[in-house]
Amino acid sequence: MATLPAFILRWIEAPRPEADAKPAHSRALRDPYQLRSLPQDDLFFFCKRIDNSRLVREPDPRAKSACWSAIGVASLAVAILAGVLVPGAASRSAGYRLESLRAEERRLVEERRTLDLKEAELLSPARLDQLAHNQNLVTPKSDQVFHLEGDRPGAVVAMVKNR
Amino acid sequence: MVERRLIVLVVALAVWSTAIVKKLASLQLAHHQEYARKARRRQEVPEAIPAPRGSIYDRNGEPLAMSLPTQSVTVNPTRLPDLGVAADLLEEVLHMRGSGLYDKLKQAYDKGRGYLVVKRQITPEEAASVRALPVDWIEIESASQRHYPKGTLAAHVLGGVDRAETGNAGIEKALERTLHGEPGQELLLTDVHGRGISSRQAIEPKPGTPVTLTIDERLQFVAERQLAAAVEERGATSGSVVVMNPSNGDVLALASYPTFDPNEPPETAEDPRRENHAVGVAFEPGSVFKVITLSAALETTNLRPETPIDCGRGSITLFGRTIHEAEARGGYGVMPMAQVLIRSSNVGAIRVGMRVGQQNLYDYVRRFGFGQLTGISLPGESRGLVRKLPRWTSTSLASIAMGQEVLVTTVQIAQAVSAIANGGLLVKPRLVLKRGAETVPQEPAVRAIKPETAFTMQKIMEGVVMPGGTGFPEARLIGYSAAGKTGTALIFDLKTKRYSHNYNGSFAGMAPLTNPAIVVVVTLNGTHGDGGYGGRAAAPVFNAVASEALRLTDVPRDLPDDPAKMRVAAEAEPASDLAIAGLGAGPNILQDADDPEKPAERATGVAIAGHTVPDFQGMTMRDVLTEAASRGLTILPDGSGIAKVQDPPAGSFVRQGERIRVQFAR
Repeated sequence: MATLPAFILRWIEAPRPEADAKPAHSRALRDPYQLRSLPQDDLFFFCKRIDNSRLVREPDPRAKSACWSAIGVASLAVAILAGVLVPGAASRSAGYRLESLRAEERRLVEERRTLDLKEAELLSPARLDQLAHNQNLVTPKSDQVFHLEGDRPGAVVAMVKNR
Repeated sequence: MVERRLIVLVVALAVWSTAIVKKLASLQLAHHQEYARKARRRQEVPEAIPAPRGSIYDRNGEPLAMSLPTQSVTVNPTRLPDLGVAADLLEEVLHMRGSGLYDKLKQAYDKGRGYLVVKRQITPEEAASVRALPVDWIEIESASQRHYPKGTLAAHVLGGVDRAETGNAGIEKALERTLHGEPGQELLLTDVHGRGISSRQAIEPKPGTPVTLTIDERLQFVAERQLAAAVEERGATSGSVVVMNPSNGDVLALASYPTFDPNEPPETAEDPRRENHAVGVAFEPGSVFKVITLSAALETTNLRPETPIDCGRGSITLFGRTIHEAEARGGYGVMPMAQVLIRSSNVGAIRVGMRVGQQNLYDYVRRFGFGQLTGISLPGESRGLVRKLPRWTSTSLASIAMGQEVLVTTVQIAQAVSAIANGGLLVKPRLVLKRGAETVPQEPAVRAIKPETAFTMQKIMEGVVMPGGTGFPEARLIGYSAAGKTGTALIFDLKTKRYSHNYNGSFAGMAPLTNPAIVVVVTLNGTHGDGGYGGRAAAPVFNAVASEALRLTDVPRDLPDDPAKMRVAAEAEPASDLAIAGLGAGPNILQDADDPEKPAERATGVAIAGHTVPDFQGMTMRDVLTEAASRGLTILPDGSGIAKVQDPPAGSFVRQGERIRVQFAR
């Protein structure tokens, strides 16, 4: 260590006996993986490269089943959620359709009544009489209508003779 | 240290979670109903469920009156941001350019009115355009409007409704409770766009009940057309026609002239065109009433059709007053009682009436339903007026025997003649056939005269339409036997308190005589001159209407079709059946105030529940009809010769009005 106190201590302290002297070959015996130590710290780090390329992980049966269980639970949860939400959505959609059909029914009923009214106006006796008059048609008089008896009992056929 | 922080964190999370759960519980459980109610109120839109007023149909199912929904645009003038802009916008959307809408809005705004109808009966396209406008000061109101698709047809029968669709006349008023519908309400759950999701009924709708009338629209049209033509041709002021089925009282047609269109609102509060002359206007009937006199004579005296009656030299003096025949002839001399009716002799009628006596004549007038309401389902019916016996003067008997000094309506005459046509039963005229799907039961008939009296009167009345009768040739039908009576009564002028020279010309008839299927009564008011007599003015209307009615109802003929035999050889004399009026010295019956008498009692008689059918096999048609008439039964003959088959069979029980079919063969 090249700090000033180390330098001073080197000069103050007596030389150690040979037992204290480091052997000349001590650097060569240091652990090759040991990293340089931090100053004034007796914490030593070692770095060793480990080659795990030949290491093969063994299959864990418990992990597999755990995985499938998780998938199953998730699916079940989704199904339950869907089971809860889908009927509501379907009901809502059916409700839209139902109300739309009801409105359509009311509209059609009103339209039918309007058409019934129009039909009644078109079949008004006054209008039919006018149409007949325009086409030079007249109501046959009693002496112009001859009743014929058909084969069936009670059958009556009438014909109008032009005069 | 770490554990402490963890504990603090967990505790904080727990407190926060607890607060959330507590709030959730409060919203979802404790206040669930309250919030659900609030949500519903926001999301639910009240919608009216329409309940249209009941439709009115004729007997064949043809609609005569219907209600359709309609929409109107309304605004609150006080909420309009700008009157000019609002007016321009509304005029553009509702196609009302040049309608002066701005002035109306300004006027309403100045008066502080909060409601103004901008346009009624908008089209669906206009409604959609209005709804698409992003403004909140326009409202669209739904309402219902009554339509009468046949126009003026049966106007007096139907009546009309006011703007609130409440009946104010005719059947609309009489059956208001049945026809009226009560709209319901449903609450529609909507989404944010206003689309409906679901609905629930809040108020149940009560639709009006449809009503089917006894009216046949084809016959009604013919009656109205013929009546209008006759009124205009004869210069009359008004008129009425009633066509009735004598066996069950069904009114097949009821026409009144002048008429109106119920689709249009009344021009004035008292529109004279809306007066129903068939049921609401009473008049002195004249010689038509002689039918009652002779019926009473047949039942209360020993007079028979062949009994000679001294009609003198054309005049009779009673209590210092001389009454002449309608025509200034040498008089009819002595003639059978039947001829008194056929030729409509006033002197003869007076003599017959004097034989009947006041009490009997009064009784029979009441038995035939006069002076009482017929009960037809129309408001404003007049009961006519028959003075009570203590109020009869010395000349009342003579006057009433000729059809004066008594007020009747056309429908009362129809009811009385129906009694003669059906064998003596006074049936109530009815207009309502069904309410909804339920047939209205027929009211039991009351016997007015004996069957043999009715049959005898039919034969006498047949003479009226034969040569020599006052109804010949106008009332003679081709292919059908007929019977009837003409009537011509002077009209009393209430202003001058004297009789005018205008007439009420009438004809009351039935056809065919073998089994009367229809009764037709025609009255023209305000005719004059020779052409105004009942035989000239009203009989042709009877002919046209009765012919058409028999054709439409498929009634088989009972006479040969030979027009040559029916042709008039020479111009017939004007049918003169003028009743002599003004015999009495007291006030005219038309001047009698409305009599607040007790509710009229119906004519008393013996109610018949039904009959046992006799055995007609082997009998001729004449014998069958005579036997049936004596028992008050109605026969429907088919074929000619000897009776072979009958339905219902002999010994079974039939109710009044039910017909018995009898098959004849040679």
